[in-house]
Amino acid sequence: MVLADLGRKITTALRSLSNATIINEEVLNGMLKEICSALLEADVNVRLVKQLRENVRSVIDFDEMAGGLNKRRMIQSAVYKELVKLVDPGVKAWQPTKGRNNVIMFVGLQGSGKTTTCTKLAYYYQKKGWKTCLICADTFRAGAFDQLKQNATKARIPFYGSYTEIDPVEIAKDGVDKFKSENFEIIIVDTSGRHKQEDSLFEEMLQVHNTITPDNVIFVMDASIGQACEAQAKAFKDKVDVASVIITKLDSHAKGGGALSAVAATKSPVIFIGTGEHIDDFEPFKVQPFVSKLLGMGDIEGLIDK
Amino acid sequence: MFSMFKNLVGSKMLTQEDVAPVLDKFREHLVSKNVAAEIAQKLCESVSAKLEGKVLGTFSTISATVKTALNQSLIQILSPKRRVDILRDAMECKQQRRPYCITFCGVNGVGKSTNLAKICFWLIENGFRVLIAACDTFRAGAVEQLRTHTRKLNALHPAEKHGGQQMVQLYEKGYGKDAAGIAMEAINFARDCHIDIVLVDTAGRMQDNEPLMRALSKLIKVNQPDLVLFVGEALVGNEAVDQLTKFNQALADHSNMTNPRLIDGIILTKFDTIDDKVGAAISMTYITGQPIVFVGTGQTYTDLRNLNAKAIVHALLK
Ligand SMILES: Nc1nc2c(ncn2[C@@H]2O[C@H](COP(=O)(O)OP(=O)(O)OP(=O)(O)O)[C@@H](O)[C@H]2O)c(=O)[nH]1
Ligand SMILES: Nc1nc2c(ncn2[C@@H]2O[C@H](COP(=O)(O)OP(=O)(O)OP(=O)(O)O)[C@@H](O)[C@H]2O)c(=O)[nH]1
Ligand SMILES: [Mg+2]
Ligand SMILES: [Mg+2]
Repeated sequence: MVLADLGRKITTALRSLSNATIINEEVLNGMLKEICSALLEADVNVRLVKQLRENVRSVIDFDEMAGGLNKRRMIQSAVYKELVKLVDPGVKAWQPTKGRNNVIMFVGLQGSGKTTTCTKLAYYYQKKGWKTCLICADTFRAGAFDQLKQNATKARIPFYGSYTEIDPVEIAKDGVDKFKSENFEIIIVDTSGRHKQEDSLFEEMLQVHNTITPDNVIFVMDASIGQACEAQAKAFKDKVDVASVIITKLDSHAKGGGALSAVAATKSPVIFIGTGEHIDDFEPFKVQPFVSKLLGMGDIEGLIDK
Repeated sequence: MFSMFKNLVGSKMLTQEDVAPVLDKFREHLVSKNVAAEIAQKLCESVSAKLEGKVLGTFSTISATVKTALNQSLIQILSPKRRVDILRDAMECKQQRRPYCITFCGVNGVGKSTNLAKICFWLIENGFRVLIAACDTFRAGAVEQLRTHTRKLNALHPAEKHGGQQMVQLYEKGYGKDAAGIAMEAINFARDCHIDIVLVDTAGRMQDNEPLMRALSKLIKVNQPDLVLFVGEALVGNEAVDQLTKFNQALADHSNMTNPRLIDGIILTKFDTIDDKVGAAISMTYITGQPIVFVGTGQTYTDLRNLNAKAIVHALLK
């Protein structure tokens, strides 16, 4: 993922601080330029990159500050704080509660990987001993129910859907009612892909949401997305209460920096990442260990502790 | 946006130093419109080289001059050196009594199957009979997705309206089979049944997935389709560059031919989801030098357009 890949570039940029005999505005600007262009190449949102640059700059007052070491440390820790902000919204991730129903609704842009990821998540919990099921509330996409059905059957996960009902609200309601009455613990509802430009699709999402009142709404985002992510993520958040993010297709060459703007826009943490098309190409994502790993990388720690 | 650069300079020779700060702003602007960083950089370098030594008109500003040059470069990138005329080529094949074949490829979830169905609709509207070859034998529901489209398209264009002829059929062999083989069978089937056009759907694959890329190259090598279309979504960021480079590279590397079949054209999908962040159109055409043959603008059969280069450049420089 983006920060891990950027690690080396950032270390190099930060080292330019240690190597410089004096740290002035020019040195700082040079370093920031390097870091920012690396972030932009990783698709991180332009606005977030600008913000990062400004925030780091505002920490340092060259006229007032004395010792070189102090400056170095302040700059380095400012850079890290900003980088961490990109992945960590500072909100605790939602956790399902054992022994009761937990309804989870998947939303996202077309083709981002919702249906595939629904099964992955169901399978993940099933393996851990939860009573898990899937509902297909996508009545729009051709073959959507077959897709979910085939995935669920292969993974031996109970599922619900319909070939004839055309109202996703009805299916979602019936499915959730049915599985609740059968005491399922993890009830996952897959929905159609949609985008903010089409009001009727967003309205439909809201109706499904208000009918099933999910405990967690997961926004699924493709790792290869570029600058369009922020506006879409924000629109989803504004319509339904997105509380978690899953980034898919991280097995590609993409660094996932664009998808990270979904974290900022929804103020929600990344909870899992998808790393392939198969059902177990799926990993929990924990912000804190990820960040510590980043901070602990090689001599970065050394730089910070100086 | 660029008003801060409206300082009048009077008539003088432009140097790289003159244009650098202005171009820097433009580069940043292009990146914010989702042009890949590397492409934005190269573009600005070429504009800088083009402008160096040019005499600035008495009443023009550096900013306006740079903008005009950039505008020209962008239009040029989007203007195909070669036109892809599917209807004409398909008609020619029909006269030769052989099916015209288009293969769709690209990474996962970009809209290959959906836009294949849209193109199928367009071809039927133009009087062609089509066979859809279900060569995505991997992703769950891929075959049923195409079967649904086939059914819907036939309902829109019932045989009664076409002299009793069924306008679209599906050729499928279920899941798990070799895609190249199914494509070949489908093409033979179309030839035997005098079907005009074969549309080959393939599974989505990541450009770094060596076995899957090898399988795609094989499909294209053994079947030699008339047209290989790369499907890419307008949402994609910097990754567009890597996708197209590696798809082309794989087709070249695994073909063992001196003149391998590469990507002939691009379908730019999900254009309706990006507002004015239209930069992927530039990244994709810059890398391949191939035209954007269709633009996907929605999820229904009629949401298929031609590229409007002027409108894209306008949105980019706005
Ligand atoms: N390589 C890779 N492919 C993935 C991953 N997750 C999903 N996919 C693929 O992405 C494509 C789209 O996935 P879907 O699950 O159908 O996406 P969706 O969001 O449900 O799509 P719509 O319902 O049409 O909006 C499929 O080919 C999946 O196999 C991943 O982590 N890695
Ligand atoms: N808004 C919008 N959605 C599109 C467009 N083209 C395709 N889609 C949607 O994108 C999603 C994925 O489309 P598919 O055609 O299944 O994509 P694919 O490339 O065949 O996917 P895989 O075979 O799984 O790799 C579906 O929900 C389509 O309806 C478009 O131009 N605009
Ligand atoms: Mg789906
Ligand atoms: Mg497909």
